[in-house]
Amino acid sequence: MIDQAVRTFVALAGEVGLHYDFLLSASEVRPWIAGMGTTLLLVLLAIPLSLAAGVAFAAALTSGRPWLAGPVRAYVELTRNTPTLVQLMFAFFALNMLLSKALGGAANNPFTPFFWVVAVTGLHIAAFHAEALRGGIEAVPTAMVETAHAIGFSAFEILRYVTLPLALRTAMPAIVNNLVNLVKLTTIGSAIAVGEVTYASIMIWTQRDNVLELMIVILLFFGLINTVLSQIGRYVERRLAVPGYGV
Amino acid sequence: MSTAALSARGRAALGPAWAWLALAAAGWLLWFMLDARLARDLLDWLPYLASGFAMNILISVLAMSAGTLAGVTLGTMELSTSRLVRGPAVAYVQVFRNAPHLVLIFATTYIFPFEIVVAGNYLPFPDWLKAVLGLAIPASAYVAEIVRGAIQSVPTTQWDAAKGVGMSRGQTLRWIILPQCLRRALPPWMNLYASITMSTALASLVGVHELLHAATDASTAVRRDDFTIAIYLTVLAAFFLFCFPISRLTRRLERRFAPR
Amino acid sequence: MARTSSFRSCLSVVALASLGLVTGRAAQADATLDRIKGRQKLTVGIILSGAPFGYIDPQSRAEKGFNIDLARALAEKLGVKVELVTVTPPNRVQFLQQGKVDILIANMQFTEDRAKIMDHVQTPYDRAGGAALGRKDSGIKDWTDLKGKPVCISQGSNYAQPLADTYGAAVKGIPSQPESMLALQGGNCVVAVHVAPTIKLLLADRPNDWKDYAIVIPTELEPADSVIWLRKGERDTGAAFDTAVRELHASGAMLEMAKANRLVDPTFLEEARRTYAAPAKP
Repeated sequence: MIDQAVRTFVALAGEVGLHYDFLLSASEVRPWIAGMGTTLLLVLLAIPLSLAAGVAFAAALTSGRPWLAGPVRAYVELTRNTPTLVQLMFAFFALNMLLSKALGGAANNPFTPFFWVVAVTGLHIAAFHAEALRGGIEAVPTAMVETAHAIGFSAFEILRYVTLPLALRTAMPAIVNNLVNLVKLTTIGSAIAVGEVTYASIMIWTQRDNVLELMIVILLFFGLINTVLSQIGRYVERRLAVPGYGV
Repeated sequence: MSTAALSARGRAALGPAWAWLALAAAGWLLWFMLDARLARDLLDWLPYLASGFAMNILISVLAMSAGTLAGVTLGTMELSTSRLVRGPAVAYVQVFRNAPHLVLIFATTYIFPFEIVVAGNYLPFPDWLKAVLGLAIPASAYVAEIVRGAIQSVPTTQWDAAKGVGMSRGQTLRWIILPQCLRRALPPWMNLYASITMSTALASLVGVHELLHAATDASTAVRRDDFTIAIYLTVLAAFFLFCFPISRLTRRLERRFAPR
Repeated sequence: MARTSSFRSCLSVVALASLGLVTGRAAQADATLDRIKGRQKLTVGIILSGAPFGYIDPQSRAEKGFNIDLARALAEKLGVKVELVTVTPPNRVQFLQQGKVDILIANMQFTEDRAKIMDHVQTPYDRAGGAALGRKDSGIKDWTDLKGKPVCISQGSNYAQPLADTYGAAVKGIPSQPESMLALQGGNCVVAVHVAPTIKLLLADRPNDWKDYAIVIPTELEPADSVIWLRKGERDTGAAFDTAVRELHASGAMLEMAKANRLVDPTFLEEARRTYAAPAKP
């Protein structure tokens, strides 16, 4: 059934000059479909990482403690102002090699290329989340924070129950935007042989000459993921909306 | 809150970070000072790396210029009342904002021909120009959104008010609306420029001779691990030194233009 | 945020695609030999995967190596200038197909698969196979030991298929060879497989950095003729280059170039010299 449908599609596409013949070769299609799965998995792991780290960074930035805010601020500035691809290559080729040497041989190094992509892209986007959340936290009226303090909330409780929930609402559009960028960033995994969809496609087009055909699918694929992500973001935004607060 | 108080808070936010950034820079310099062989090798390669970085800047400037021209057009199209004008612009912006920059660079590099025929003449279409195009596409989509947001942020009542004091539509646009739009659009536009500049490193993956590519050439020739690590750090430092001032300036402008 | 349906996204992608079709497929290469002669310039795709084949010299900032010397020698034979274009394993075939380069001298051995999409100069300029560089204590002794193990190669390398299909290795394609070496040292693969001469020279030149590493498998993977590749169907161009390559072998110039670039084991070239220097057999 599916086989027949694929055949018809390849034939139809061939009519308009698009060569999707590789779809008929199982050894090429399997890693390609797996590549889409890997991209989804990367996204599903990097999103929670970026959110958790983003909240932690924002808390550190607004903590008022220089020894905590200083290094985090330095990290945020460094990661925001350098290319993620170079960060990834540095982490994977240099840091990872040093780690292996420190751990006494590569066999003891548990970090895979997949791990580095999740870590680098997730922590990179976390810096952007942190900035958005910090803006939101600082926008919470001082009177509200003082009131919470007066009724005996600790600094952590104020963050957890007062400033962060409100900051989340103002920062939501920016956060969704960052997450869309995160999804797009996962493609740099192709540079260190993580078998995501771009890498799988490179492997196909270096053997065949069908870049355009693969590009169309990749663009559709990312368009789909990001459309879904934006819809979820808008749904969450609506659910979180507090009448009369924020925009 | 007054501007002065705000900027004081902004400075305070970066205060302790300066120390850490300085510490990182000092550590980096110290390493080179202690290792004479490494420093010498790196100095040898510095001119080659610099010529690579010039390519990054060239690509980013051209991509941003082209992206801005196209984006302003698209942004105004997005606000058109006609569905026929608005539809294509909205769809274009949607597709290319969601498309990974790396994929667009791959697409323009491998799909477009290496030369174009214009009136019987073969004009070369070099790789770096394709990378410019690959980055101008997402840049234009983002600029379109910035422009649309900026125009929409100006309340329509201002048009009516200007009309009331006898200004023409053109005058209103020139003297009332555009100055406000520029103020709103400048900070995000500068952020976008920094982001496009950083994306130029992706062009190395399609063989454009920019900084990251030059760094790979250098590590291939030297074939020593400490050098390879040092060269990656140098690449990071180059981008940081270029983009960090832009991002500081952007934040200052943001604070200055912030609605009070 | 997303305001359009994915259907609308589809439509515009199709629009982009048709644009790409028109411009992309319109580039038709004319007869390469005529173009080379017409422009007085031979454009060669070379790869900078490291000594002895190709690398950048820091002082002169010029490309150096065996591949580059060969490109220059060929241009000289044709009486034209040479233009070098750096290619990488993932883009070299595209560059040739697009006509951005006239020929490829890019560490590409003859394989049946490549011969399906490109033509090649009949006489090889060298012969090389893949060597597996790994830790001495990795326990890898034979290609069959690589089953299920991660192996680093260059993206677009011809070793991908035999490693994956014949030996069942988990192949990891890295953009370039130096990065593949770093991935090996980082423990992301048990061995890195690249053309043997580059690895041999690396081990010879940097014994201290690589003291824990060796070529762990005594045999070479798919030893095959290194040939110059050109676009499909360009037989005349191929023939012209074939004559030039034979002459370079016969005069001993090829062997000289190899030695000048410290090709570790020039046995093949010594034999080639004898073969082609001898009067043609009946």
